[in-house]
Amino acid sequence: MLHRLLLPTLIAVLMYGFWISPDFKEIAAGVAIFLFGMLSLEEGFKAFTGGLLEKLLKKTTNKLWKSLSFGVVSTTLMQSSSLVSVITISFLSAGLISLTAGVGIIFGANLGTTTGAWLVAGLGLKVKISAYAMPMLVLGILLIFQKSKELKGVGYVLAGLGFLFLGIHYMKEGFEAFKDTIDLTAYAVEGYAGVFLFTLIGLFATVVMQSSHATLVLIITALSAQQITYENALALAIGANIGTTITAILGSLSANIEGRRLAVAHLIFNAVTGFVAILFIYQLTGLVDTVSALAGIAADNYTLKLAVFHTIFNTIGVLLMLPVIPAMVRFLKRTFKAEPGRRSAPRYLNDAASELPEATLAAVRQETLHLFDNAAAIIAGGLSLKLSDIKSDEPLEEIIFKARSVIPVDIDQQYQESVKSLYADIVDFSSSYQGEMSADQVEELFRLRAAGRDIVEAIKDTKHLQKNLSRYFVADNPYIQHEYNTLRMRLASVLRQLYQVREQERCDSTLILALDRLRLDMEEYDHNLNHSLSGLIRQKLISGPMSVSLMNDSGYASDVTRNLVQMGEVLFSKSDLTVKSVEQSLLLDQDEISELARSQNPDTPIRQERSDQI
Amino acid sequence: MNVKKLIRKAEHFLQTEDQKRKEKKRYLKKVIRKLRKHEKKLQKEYDTCTSFEQSRQLKQEIALAYNQRKKGVKMLKSLKKKKKQNA
Repeated sequence: MLHRLLLPTLIAVLMYGFWISPDFKEIAAGVAIFLFGMLSLEEGFKAFTGGLLEKLLKKTTNKLWKSLSFGVVSTTLMQSSSLVSVITISFLSAGLISLTAGVGIIFGANLGTTTGAWLVAGLGLKVKISAYAMPMLVLGILLIFQKSKELKGVGYVLAGLGFLFLGIHYMKEGFEAFKDTIDLTAYAVEGYAGVFLFTLIGLFATVVMQSSHATLVLIITALSAQQITYENALALAIGANIGTTITAILGSLSANIEGRRLAVAHLIFNAVTGFVAILFIYQLTGLVDTVSALAGIAADNYTLKLAVFHTIFNTIGVLLMLPVIPAMVRFLKRTFKAEPGRRSAPRYLNDAASELPEATLAAVRQETLHLFDNAAAIIAGGLSLKLSDIKSDEPLEEIIFKARSVIPVDIDQQYQESVKSLYADIVDFSSSYQGEMSADQVEELFRLRAAGRDIVEAIKDTKHLQKNLSRYFVADNPYIQHEYNTLRMRLASVLRQLYQVREQERCDSTLILALDRLRLDMEEYDHNLNHSLSGLIRQKLISGPMSVSLMNDSGYASDVTRNLVQMGEVLFSKSDLTVKSVEQSLLLDQDEISELARSQNPDTPIRQERSDQI
Repeated sequence: MNVKKLIRKAEHFLQTEDQKRKEKKRYLKKVIRKLRKHEKKLQKEYDTCTSFEQSRQLKQEIALAYNQRKKGVKMLKSLKKKKKQNA
């Protein structure tokens, strides 16, 4: 209800303002142009996030101080804590970074945003900023029309900066003209009442504009035109700092539980910092005077003193909150628990993760890994084994020896319960991505989707295999029992080695390329089986139907192996996209594997085609 | 940052088809080099290995690394050929 009323009320107030005051119109237009500049700047920086941001985030989020520095530097460069918040939530939702790293980045972004006040107060008001805006706009728009993604990005950044400067210029002009008609300082409120009132105004203005940067520029330009008092400007800056959390809160609405936790962490940080600043506002003002005097800032240069204040109170916030980050993360995890959903409920696919191509790819990859975990449990069950045993360090021979009874597993039912809908969600999410992706990213998305299909195929082949396997590995005939237990062990070994590669921390192409050995091994086994089968039949140790079943099932086991290995080669590679593409091109195809298997065992005949299952 | 690196960065910024091919070639060379190292390491392990099963697996891995490397070299040659044709 409130939301529905807000927009019409705001429009009505603005229209009334435009009608009674042309200066107000100029200030409002300045804010609008400034905000448009912010949007353009964000669009421009998004063009450069391809790969670079992901690499940077991977390298800079393993330690808290690195996350903090990343937040400071990225916000300083992009001049938008909102963009940094959105990117962080997006990456956190996709499982690319941890909550602690996310909190570090957001805290750093709070510090980074203080550079905006310095730039506007120190540079924006001193020089005729609009003179720089015009050429930037012209060059920016010219570049936006170019084909190259990077040039387009530069164009958006230039145009964004141009609009920012132009916006500041109009705000400055508006307030200067306003001074002649109305003196807003007449409405100044002294004491703590004023602090609270103006904090609320700053908060409201930021929530409406969704940019603390815009509010801060408005405050600085109003302060320079002496339309607000210095004390009230400080309170407005505190309010803007609290109000800026709205971006993260709105961004987290479409995110998963991790994204929501981060938004709450952001709110806690800014609220605590704001509370401390309000409580000690007079002491802080004294500190600002001292620091300003030391830095050579004139006592009456209130705009620069506001920038000093903004920096000091955000630094105090970081210093206060930094030691409690681990406790805060624990508290957030305890308070905001993930709802225990179905095993097939997606964990990483959400709107926040589809904000950026890297986050989309990461979310699809993580979710396909989730799909693999569900599928591995089904495949292990199909072999009458427990996944936990396969993942353990116990020798596989012992595991197979111990598991001598059939575990009744309804693969169809389990597939419906824990795989089918999850796979459909992955396909749906990856197909509905609307943003721009580079050729490498599109290729990776296709590979990830193919990996999902391989997982599903592996389950289907296990289902075919299960029928005879459950019958023969407990059969009275020791020869057929031995052969089927060998098949079980081979597939269990494939699963175990896949998990071992998955858990490797290092990024090594040879590790991924070596996965092909599992396929080669299975191919060799399949070739050798023909030899051993002939012997067993000749000596009448197994019956004809048994041998046909075994041949078919060996073929299914080969297919399961091939599908799982293909999936692992895509999902477990930690290389960047170009290297991954090289890895994929070096992997051997089925014919090459068969050729190699034959060259390793030149005496064995070529594998026979699978006949109908008995 | 040396000049070579600076040029590479500038080239990356204005990425063209030719640049993409160059990049692929560079990474391909890197992976081939890694494979060669890996193959040598495996060969050393194989020479000292006494377990039958482990030797069998090592033999498979060596053959695989060799074939993948061979495939890579072939690709590298065809990339060079393409470059010559375009020039």
